[in-house]
Amino acid sequence: MKFVSRQPREGINVSDTHPLVEAGTLVAGLTAIFLLFAVVLIFLIDLALYFVPPDKEAALFRDWLPDDLVTVSPADTRLDETQRVLDRMAFHWGDAPYAFRLEIDASELANAMALPGGLIVVTEGLLAQVESENELAFVLGHELGHYRNRDHLRALGRGIVFSVVLAAVTGDDASNLGINVADLALRSFSRKQELAADEFGLELVYTNYGHVNEAWRLFDRWDDGDRSLLDIVSYTSTHPQPGNRVDSLEQLARDRGWPTSGPVTALSW
Amino acid sequence: MDSDTLEIISVWLNYGFPVLLILLAYFIGTIIEKRHFRNIRAREKINREYPVVSLDTMPEDWNATASTLVTGSVVISLDYFKRVIAGLRAIVGGRIKTYEPLLERARREAVLRMTESARRQGYDAIFNVRLETSRLANSRGDGNGTAGVEMLAFGTAVRRDSRFAPVADRI
Repeated sequence: MKFVSRQPREGINVSDTHPLVEAGTLVAGLTAIFLLFAVVLIFLIDLALYFVPPDKEAALFRDWLPDDLVTVSPADTRLDETQRVLDRMAFHWGDAPYAFRLEIDASELANAMALPGGLIVVTEGLLAQVESENELAFVLGHELGHYRNRDHLRALGRGIVFSVVLAAVTGDDASNLGINVADLALRSFSRKQELAADEFGLELVYTNYGHVNEAWRLFDRWDDGDRSLLDIVSYTSTHPQPGNRVDSLEQLARDRGWPTSGPVTALSW
Repeated sequence: MDSDTLEIISVWLNYGFPVLLILLAYFIGTIIEKRHFRNIRAREKINREYPVVSLDTMPEDWNATASTLVTGSVVISLDYFKRVIAGLRAIVGGRIKTYEPLLERARREAVLRMTESARRQGYDAIFNVRLETSRLANSRGDGNGTAGVEMLAFGTAVRRDSRFAPVADRI
């Protein structure tokens, strides 16, 4: 056998894929897999929560508060008064499976949220804008409507998975995991769910006061535009637009024969 | 400095710095790798005519006058970029393409060092060439992670009697 000198051939043992292409493929691929996993997880959690009976849910979330909730002082009189209105609304529900709690979030943005386990959060921004107990009662009644239809569990998985993903990315330890108001404020319900909640809420208002006067006056005012858009953008991003909403509420009151005039109860603040 | 500025700085330190380090490692690592490959090719050209074979027997007409064990070894470290990409690759499996040039460099460099060592000592060829590799060091205290790779080439360097030398002592 003759010895033929040769230089080693190139490109046999080394892939010709550019390292940056390799890096890009891996990062993009893994991100896609990760996102898909998160979406499936969100779906599964939502699905699972729908099968949790209300009493189990109430027990599970009994003393729970969202992590980023900034509560007002427990001595705040608005807390007692709002809780009182809420209790009265809930009383007319009859067989409500939750013991409703109320917290006030120290936020300028007007919003109200139905959270798991019967925790209703209203913002200081909303309380500053309601002008009568009747207006407040309808907002709370609407949130109770979400509980009755169990809408509040919808997209809860999104909040949980967001927190998990955020913790994984920022490297926070697992004890910080939780559901945040900020995540929950992002979810919105379908028009059908909102209308059903409105109907239930208005029925509670009628049962309590014997009329629906001023129940939707808050939205009327918003519709007239006497508030800066920023003040109400939070509420309207998760609730129907005031204009349409007032129309359908008026229609509803007409259909059911609920009187739209009657004495209005003032608020103490 | 207000808390927002501190927040921004901390976010940059947490996320920007590792990314910067990866990019820096990529650019510097690429430059070093290219230079090494250029150097390897140049030296391989010089040593082109020198027989380095894995056969464990010499040609029949060869008459060895001296032989010795020659070795060439090299230790090359991974750069941070390669390590991160290999770490991502390890999640899904497949060819760790960023490690391939590293091992290629190590193999060729080790063979070159062995060859150069044999030539300096005046041997005419290297037979029975073998390659060995080992993970040299751990980059982490827990015993995981690879700091670098060692490649060892070894073989038997042989000096043959000159065709022009007197053949009297050859029976």
